[in-house]
Amino acid sequence: MELRINRETYSVQSEGDTPLLWVIRDELGLTGTKYGCGIAQCGACSVLVDGVVTRSCVTPVDSVEGSEITTIEAIEADETGRRVVEAWVAHQVPQCGYCQSGQVMAATALLRESPNPSEEEIAAVMVNLCRCGTYNAIKAAMADLADGGERG
Amino acid sequence: MKKRFAIPAVVLLAAVAGGVWLAKHHPASPFEAAEKSAAAPDLVARGEYVARASDCVACHSLPDGAPFSGGLEMATPMGSIFATNITPDPETGIGAYSLADFDRAVRSGVTPDGRRLYPAMPYPSYAKLTDEDVRALYTYFMEAVEPANHPNRPSGIDWPMDQRWPLAFWNMMFTEGGVYEASTSEDALWNRGAYLVQSAGHCGSCHTPRGPAMEERALDESSPLYLSGALLDGWYAPSLRNDPNTGIGRWSEADVVAFLKEGRNAHAVVFGSMADAFNNSTQFLTDEDLRAIAHYLKSLPGDPERDGSPWEYDPASAAALAPARRAEVPGAQTYATKCAYCHGADGRGRAPWIPPLAGAVSALAPEDASAINVTLNGSARVVAGGVPDAYRMPPFRAQLSDREIADVLSFIRSAWGNSGGAVAPEAVAELRGPTDPASSQVIVLQMR
Amino acid sequence: MGDLSNRTLTRPELSGGPVNLSRRGFLLASSGAAAGSLVLGLGLPGSRARAQEAMAPGTRVPAFLEIRPDGTVRLLSPFVEGGQGVFTAMAQIVGEELDADPATFVVENAPPGADYQVMEGMPGFRITGGSLSVRTSYAAMRRLGALARAMLMTAAAAQLGAPVSELSTEPGRVVHAASGRSLGYGELAPAALDLPVPDPESVTLRDPAEFRWIRQPVKRLDVYEKSTGKAVFAIDAQVEGMLHAAVQHAPRLGMTIGTIRNEDELRAMKGVHSVHHLPGAVAVVAERWWDAKRAAEAAQVDWREPEGAPEPNLRHMPADFSTDAFGDALERAPGDGEEAEAKGDAPKVLGEAETVVGATYRAPFVNHAQLEPPATLARFNPDGTLDLWVPNQAPDMFQADAAKQAGIEPARVRVHSPLLGGFFGRHFLYPSSNPYPQAIALAKAVGRPVKVIWSREEEFLRDRLRPMAVTRFRGTLDADGLPLALEAVSACEGPSEAISGRDKDGKLDPMATEGLTGKAYAIPNVRVAQIYVQNPTMLGYWRSVGHSMNDFLYESFFDEMADQGGQDPYELRLRLLAGNERLTNLLKAVGDLSGGWRRGPFTAEDGSRRARGVAMASPFGSEAASIAEVSIEEGEVRVHDLWQAIDPGSIVNPAIIEAQVNSAVALGLSQVLLEEARYEKGQPVARNFDMYPILPPDRMPRVHVRVVESGAPMGGIGEPGLPSVPPAVANAVSHLTGQRARRMPLSRLSFES
Repeated sequence: MELRINRETYSVQSEGDTPLLWVIRDELGLTGTKYGCGIAQCGACSVLVDGVVTRSCVTPVDSVEGSEITTIEAIEADETGRRVVEAWVAHQVPQCGYCQSGQVMAATALLRESPNPSEEEIAAVMVNLCRCGTYNAIKAAMADLADGGERG
Repeated sequence: MKKRFAIPAVVLLAAVAGGVWLAKHHPASPFEAAEKSAAAPDLVARGEYVARASDCVACHSLPDGAPFSGGLEMATPMGSIFATNITPDPETGIGAYSLADFDRAVRSGVTPDGRRLYPAMPYPSYAKLTDEDVRALYTYFMEAVEPANHPNRPSGIDWPMDQRWPLAFWNMMFTEGGVYEASTSEDALWNRGAYLVQSAGHCGSCHTPRGPAMEERALDESSPLYLSGALLDGWYAPSLRNDPNTGIGRWSEADVVAFLKEGRNAHAVVFGSMADAFNNSTQFLTDEDLRAIAHYLKSLPGDPERDGSPWEYDPASAAALAPARRAEVPGAQTYATKCAYCHGADGRGRAPWIPPLAGAVSALAPEDASAINVTLNGSARVVAGGVPDAYRMPPFRAQLSDREIADVLSFIRSAWGNSGGAVAPEAVAELRGPTDPASSQVIVLQMR
Repeated sequence: MGDLSNRTLTRPELSGGPVNLSRRGFLLASSGAAAGSLVLGLGLPGSRARAQEAMAPGTRVPAFLEIRPDGTVRLLSPFVEGGQGVFTAMAQIVGEELDADPATFVVENAPPGADYQVMEGMPGFRITGGSLSVRTSYAAMRRLGALARAMLMTAAAAQLGAPVSELSTEPGRVVHAASGRSLGYGELAPAALDLPVPDPESVTLRDPAEFRWIRQPVKRLDVYEKSTGKAVFAIDAQVEGMLHAAVQHAPRLGMTIGTIRNEDELRAMKGVHSVHHLPGAVAVVAERWWDAKRAAEAAQVDWREPEGAPEPNLRHMPADFSTDAFGDALERAPGDGEEAEAKGDAPKVLGEAETVVGATYRAPFVNHAQLEPPATLARFNPDGTLDLWVPNQAPDMFQADAAKQAGIEPARVRVHSPLLGGFFGRHFLYPSSNPYPQAIALAKAVGRPVKVIWSREEEFLRDRLRPMAVTRFRGTLDADGLPLALEAVSACEGPSEAISGRDKDGKLDPMATEGLTGKAYAIPNVRVAQIYVQNPTMLGYWRSVGHSMNDFLYESFFDEMADQGGQDPYELRLRLLAGNERLTNLLKAVGDLSGGWRRGPFTAEDGSRRARGVAMASPFGSEAASIAEVSIEEGEVRVHDLWQAIDPGSIVNPAIIEAQVNSAVALGLSQVLLEEARYEKGQPVARNFDMYPILPPDRMPRVHVRVVESGAPMGGIGEPGLPSVPPAVANAVSHLTGQRARRMPLSRLSFES
C-alpha cells in the first residue's frame, strides 16, 4: 500500500486495519505523533488527512490510501502551521508537551478552514485533552491567531 | 451482567387453567432404549460443532469458570435465574443423564426429575434439532467436556413464582415440537440454512418478536413476524428479513456470510448481544453452513409497511458539523467530538473496520434501545479467529449525560437520510441504571 | 524560530522515500538528550577537574556543563523535565551566575551519580518531586554557575595575558575592558573546563538586586520542540536493532501465568518475534508495537491465584475488592486513631461540649492519567553494560534497581531520563507499576534492544493510586460562634508507608495527614489522628500527595463549622489568621484579585445563579489561597472563575509559576469534579479515558493568578497550587446548593439546576 505523508510517497507493509498512528510511528519512524489512549479520547495522535483533523489511532491505514496526510513533522512547511507554532511559542503553551503535537494539528486544521474563527468555533474544535491544563494558554494563542496572527 | 428475557405472570394464569397431569407428563424421547456405547471420534467433533452452532457456551460458561460449569445470571422481573452446570459431573452436572434424559432437557425443557426448565433455555428452537445432532451433542458433552464439580445456584425467584410446573402449559401453548422438516419446495442449501437458523442457531430467540407470555410469535418462515426484529434486554435485535432499513435488505448473501464469519462487513459490525453470538458461535460455522444461513435469510421477504421507505444517503447533514454551525443543532458538537473521529463526519465509518452510522439499523429502527445501549456501554471486543478487533466502541456513560446522549443520538438518527427519530433523555436514563459498561478486555469463552 | 531549532536534537530531515529507519533511529537516540551520559563519559579522561575525586555534590563543573564552540551551554540538570519548567529554571539560575543568557542553554537530565545529588539537607538523595527541585538546589546551582564563571575567567586570564582582577564578563564572554579584547565562552571552554574547580567558598554570588534572569518571565527552553513534535519522550526512544514489546498483565496483581492456551497461535501471528512469560504478565515481542499489542491482547491465559504471602511491599489484589465497599469499611474503622498533631485538649473540649458538629468526608482513589503511557527501552551492550531509557523521577534509584534486575553492577547501568509526558508522581520507583523490569528481562531474553510500551489499558491496570481516605470530623464552637475545638480522624494509609512499609518505631506517615495537620488557624484545641488501614491496592504519590485530598477534607469541614457559627467563611479565616501577616496578606490578595470577597449566591449577568467559595492550603513550603465561582448547569457543576494567590516566598520565573498554577488548578478541578478510580471484583472499572474522564477544555475556568513574594524561605511551585482548589469549589457548591458536598468527585452527587 502506498501512503502520501508530508508530500512524500511511502510504501508500507502494515495490514489494512492497522491504525495510521502505528504505521507513522513504527513503520515510518515519525514519532512526533503521539499515542495517548488508542480510542480517540485524547487527541494526542491528531494528524491531517486531506486537511481534516483526524485521530490517527482510530484510522485504519487502508482508509487513507490516496489521501494527503500531514503530520507534525511537516507543520512548519505549512504557512498556517508555522503561524500556529509561533503563537504556541509566543504564548508558551506547552508544559509536558506530550499532547501538543495534536493540539497544533487541530489548531492548524481549523485556521486553514476558517482563518478568523470565532471564540465558539475555537471552543468547538480545540477539544484535545491536556493533563497539564494548558487550555487557557491554548485559548489565548488561538485568540491571537484568530485576530489575524500576532507574530511571536 | 447479561440479562435474558422475562417470564411474566401470564405463565401463572395459564397454569391455573390447566390440569396437573400435564405438568407431570414426561415427554417421550426416541432414545428411551438407547444404550451407552463408546462414541466415534467424528461424533464428538460433530457434537462440538452443534454445541458451537447452538452457542451453549454463551450461557453455560463464565469467563473465569470451568467450561460449561454454569453460572451466568439472567435477570427476570421476578428474580435472577442462573445457567446450570452442563459438564458431565455426576453430582452437580449432567453426568448421570442418559441420552434420553439429555434429549428431554434439550428438546423438551424437562429434567430427569420432571422439573421444567425456564424457557431462557431455548428448547422451543432446540426441539427442531435432528436426533443425530442431539446424539452428537450428548456425546460431545459426555466425552469431551471436562467434568466440573460446581453446584448450581438456586434461582432468586420466590414462591409462588418459583413453581415450575406451570411451564408445562406454556410449553403446550407455545412450542411446536418435532424436529425440523425439510421443505420439499426448496433446495438443500435453503433447507440446511433453515435448519440451522431455526434449531441450533435459535436466531429467533432474539430476533423474533415475543408475545405477552414472552413466547416467540413465530418459529419459522411461515409467519411474516419470524425474525422480523425484536426488543430484548435493552437491545434491539434487527430484522433478519429483507427489510432495507431495519433488516438485511441491502446486504448480499456474501455480506451475511462475512458478518457471521468475520464479525463485520461494509454495513455493520457485530455489537451488543450479537458480539457474544459471533465471538462464541457463528464464526466457527463452516463456510458452507454460513452460505446456507445467508441463503435462507435472504429468502425471507421484507415488509415495506413495517419497514418504511428505503433509506437513501443524504449528504446534507455534514453542514451541521461545520464548527461555526454546531451550536445550532443539538448533538452536533457531541457527534463531532465524540463520534466523528471514528464514524466520520459523513457517517460512513471506515468499513469494514468501523461501521457506518449512515443507514445503520440502530439509526433507522424506531426502537432506539440499541443506539442508546451501545453509546452508554460500548461493545464487547470482537474476537475473530482468535484475534481481537483493532477498534472497540468505548462506553460513553461516564462522559455524557442522559441529555447529551439523547441529543447526539437524535442527531445521528436524523442525519444522512437516517429516519430512526429522536431519542428522549428519559429513555437513556431508563437504560443507564440496569446496564453495565462492556469490558475493554478480550473475553474468550472456552469450550474445553 | 531559527535560533531555537538548532539548539536541541532535531530529527533528520525527511528526504525522499523510505529510508533505513533503524539507522536513523540510532542516530537520533545517540545524538540527543537520551544519550547524555554517554557524551559526558567521553569527556572524562585527561582532565584534572573531571578527575578530581570526592568533590561536594554540585561542584564538579564539567559534570554539569559543556560549553560548545558556538557558545551554547549544555547543562545536565539534576532534575527531570516533565512540564514543570525545571530545565528553564535551572538555566536561569546557573546562567545568572555564569553570566550566560538562559536562551543559549540546552538542558538535559543528568545521569545518576553523587555529583547530581545536590538537594540541600538531603545528602545522597535525588528525586524530582515534592516540589523540591528549585528550592533545594537554588544555592548549589547558583554556586555552580559562579564556579564555572571563575574557571572561564581564569582560562581567559591565561589566554589574554591579563590578571583575573582586570577581567569581567558580559553574557557569554569574558571581557578585558582595559584592552577592549574579549573571548567567547565557547572559545575558552576547552581550557577552562580542564582547570581545577576553585574552592566553592572562593566565589561570590551576584547581588539579587542585579539579577537579569532570575525573577524574570524567561521563555521556556523546550517550547519550540514541544510545539513541533521534535521533543523526544521515552515512548519515542529508538535504537538500532530494536524490537517492540507489549504486555497483557494479570487482571489482579499477584496472579501468575498458569498456561497460555493459544501460545502457538500467538507465535504465528504477524510480526511476532517471541512470547514470554513474565511475573504477572504475558509479553509479546514483535517487529512493531501494534503487532505485539494485538498478540498480547489475544493471549488466552489461565491466570493462577497468588500463592503464599506477597513479596515485601507488594500486595495481592483480592478477587472481591470493591472501592465502594472499602470506603464503607474505612467509614466503620474503629478507634480514635494515632495522633499526628495535637494542640490543647480537643477530646476533652468536645466531650464536654453541648453542641458538636460532626461530618464524615470521603476522598477517592485517583489515577495519575499522565498522557504518555509508560514505556522503557533497554539495550544490553557487548561489554555487558545496560542502557535504559526510562521515564523516571529518581535516576539513582532506578539505576540501583535496574542493576538488581539485570544482575549487574549499578555502575554498568546507564540511565537515560527523557522528557516526561506528564508525571504527577507517576514515575517514582514502583517496580510492579513500571515497565522497566519487563524491558530488562525481555532485552536479556531476546538478545536485542527491546522497547516496552504499556497500552493505556495496561497502564490503568497497574497504575498506583493516590490513597483513599474517610475522615471523621468533629468540632465545637464557643459562645461567639468561633471554633473552639476540632478533631479530624482519618482512616487511610499514607503513600510512603504503603510503598516502603510502616515505620518500625511506629512513626506515622506524615503524608497520610498533611493538610489536616499544619493548619495555621487559631483554633485552641485540635487533634488530628490517623487510623491506619492497610489498602489492598498499590499506592503511590500523586501531585500534592496528602494535601491533594486532606485540604479538601479540612477546608470543607471548616466551612461547615463557619456556617454552624453563623460566620462568613472568608471573614472567619481572616479572623483565625489574625497576627499571621503572611497568610492574612495572602487571603486579602486573593480577595482583591477576585474583586472583593462575596459569597453569594448571586445572579450573574448571564442569569445563572452563582456562589463563591474560598479555601487555603500550606503545601510544600508555599502558601496558597483560592476562590472559586460556580453555578450548576444541567445538574453539573460549572466553575467559571478561579482566583488564586500563591506565596512561594521568593521566585525564579513568574511566567512558569503562573503556568504551574494553571496546571495545578486544572488537576485540582479534574479531581474534585470528575476523578475516581473505582475497583469492582478486584479490577479497575476504568481502563482508559472513556471511563476515567479527566478535565476537558470546556470545563476549564478562567484562572487568575497573583504571585505574592513574602520573602519567606523559598517554597515549592509544582504542587502547591492544587490543594486549595477542590475545597474552594466544594465550598462554593455547598453554599449555592445548600447541600454539603462531602465527597469527591462532585459528579457522584446530583444537583438541581
